[in-house]
Amino acid sequence: MTPPFYIALRFLTNRKRALLLSLSGVVFGVAIFICTQAQTQGFSRYFIESNIGSNGALVVKSRFRPRYEPLMVTAKNSKGTAGRRLYFEGITNPNEIMRVSRQFPDVISCSPVLRGTVSARAGFENATVDLYGIDPALHAQTTDILNQLIDGSFDDFRNNTSAIIVGSRLAELLQTSVGDTVQLLAPNGEYWRFTVAAIARAGIGSIDSTRIYSHARVAQALLQQPSGASMIIYKLRDRDRAPILASRFETLFQHDALSWQEREESTLQLFLTLRMSVAITVSLIILLAGFGIFNVLTMSVLAKIKEIAILRSMGYRRKDISAIFLWQGALIAAAGSVLGCLLGALMTWGVSHIPIHLRGLLYTNYFLVTWDWHHYAFATLLALVAVFIASYVPARRAAELAPVATIRGSR
Amino acid sequence: MSGQVSLSCDRIERYLGEEEERVHALRGVSLEIEIGSVHAVVGPSGCGKSSLLYVLGLLDTPDAGRVSIETETVSHLSDDELAQKRNEFIGFIFQFHFLMEDFTAQENVMIPMRKLGQLSETQMRDRAGELLDGVGLGDKLRRPSRHLSGGEQQRVAIARALANDPHIILADEPTGNLDTANSERAFELLQNLVHERGKALLLATHNPTIAEACDWIHEMRDGLIIDSQLRTARS
Repeated sequence: MTPPFYIALRFLTNRKRALLLSLSGVVFGVAIFICTQAQTQGFSRYFIESNIGSNGALVVKSRFRPRYEPLMVTAKNSKGTAGRRLYFEGITNPNEIMRVSRQFPDVISCSPVLRGTVSARAGFENATVDLYGIDPALHAQTTDILNQLIDGSFDDFRNNTSAIIVGSRLAELLQTSVGDTVQLLAPNGEYWRFTVAAIARAGIGSIDSTRIYSHARVAQALLQQPSGASMIIYKLRDRDRAPILASRFETLFQHDALSWQEREESTLQLFLTLRMSVAITVSLIILLAGFGIFNVLTMSVLAKIKEIAILRSMGYRRKDISAIFLWQGALIAAAGSVLGCLLGALMTWGVSHIPIHLRGLLYTNYFLVTWDWHHYAFATLLALVAVFIASYVPARRAAELAPVATIRGSR
Repeated sequence: MSGQVSLSCDRIERYLGEEEERVHALRGVSLEIEIGSVHAVVGPSGCGKSSLLYVLGLLDTPDAGRVSIETETVSHLSDDELAQKRNEFIGFIFQFHFLMEDFTAQENVMIPMRKLGQLSETQMRDRAGELLDGVGLGDKLRRPSRHLSGGEQQRVAIARALANDPHIILADEPTGNLDTANSERAFELLQNLVHERGKALLLATHNPTIAEACDWIHEMRDGLIIDSQLRTARS
């Protein structure tokens, strides 16, 4: 234990009220930061997980005609803007695209989807639905559909071509359950009869209230589509690499490729804005705690002028005096961060048990939280920086005090 | 003076204050303090006694002149080096004892030892205990200094000044705040230390009895030593 550390410890423990005041500021600042980040990121991460679990991390969609810009001659009056791409609905040769894309080490699996909008009827209820014609085995590998089933069986769906999986909120809307019949209206005006094999809940309102899964071949016949797939969805080893892979797939396959970040950009921005707003608010709380510590340490320097002069007369250097006050700050920051992290974890746990009934953008019965060590590390870092800044000025002031002036003044 | 010089200064000049309030506190003061001798600086208030002590104690820097510890000139050293010299060679005793209020008597005495860093925690505790025992406070080691009487606090300050076994002890009116009995006791203690352990003591005092008991008396007036008298012939 160095002499400045020892003296700092003694100074702190002898001023219990000031210590408690400083400590509580850091503890609550850190705890509130952790808890609010856990909540905001909890909702955001749940949305991302559910979205990727249903729609894949990457989607290859319509074929487009490449723009041969280097070959184009711009007219004199033209503003020079390049022409827009020409898109052709559906995937051309999906099996070949899937075969090639599986060669990419980032790709875990991929699944073709034939998508179309149809009307559904069950009993007296009608709804417009988003029909996903899928290959059950490939889709189960690529998405979280197996985990999303809340009723029924995936095997019943896989083994029966006239079976469908219905989104949970759509099932409520159509007042249908497993074993019931749902009729889907084909473009030619015919109703096709399906049996509900399972109910799925992705947790995202827009998916659960519109989606029906059927076998791809049946969907192709019902939708009267020449193409076997309108998109291919991908499961990736590292979902953060989706934008890079999307760009490569576009160039390689001449098909529109969308990463999940691009696909959900507006919602993600909303979550990010919310997180930043909360982070700024809570950072201000921590800064306020830092200001409190600044006041406490400044008062401490004023109260300890005599002690500082004594220490200097006994051979303590300016940097030793400075270290005494910086150590006080560091001890407050360290103890405050540890206690703040514990309190933050406790608050996060408590918040995760608060019942709420969300049925809008997301489906949840409890507050969603994320347990992420980064929140704890960042809150601690923030507290350390705030306290260091708060301690630095009083420490410097203490170090600059001339001992002779104090001793003369005390005579 | 024929003995080995422990602390000396040569033509020290020191100005205090700024502009109109500027005072010429020391006007070319020279002094030599031998090992094993007790020196008293006397004179009216404001004559420069304390200023001289602070300069000699390396707490203040002279505007001109030279301060030496034994044979080494120290007045040009950096702030950190001066602090190191203070820690190793000089023990200070102030009129108002200047103890750390929240620390016990023993902890106060250990503070200079902690900085020197030559002893273990146990050794420091033992040495602090011995020093406090030597000043008659062996039974009050763990008492917070604010709970000690004025005389006891001054004795703790004396023990603390001796913590690192300094060559030089500088005392600024060490008995100024004590009653006669405590004054005599404190001074006797210091005097014995100097003579028995070969230290050098320079004290500023208003107390004529104490001054008379010193080996040397230096009379100061207006920032100058106007007279130096050898009081006792030592063996």
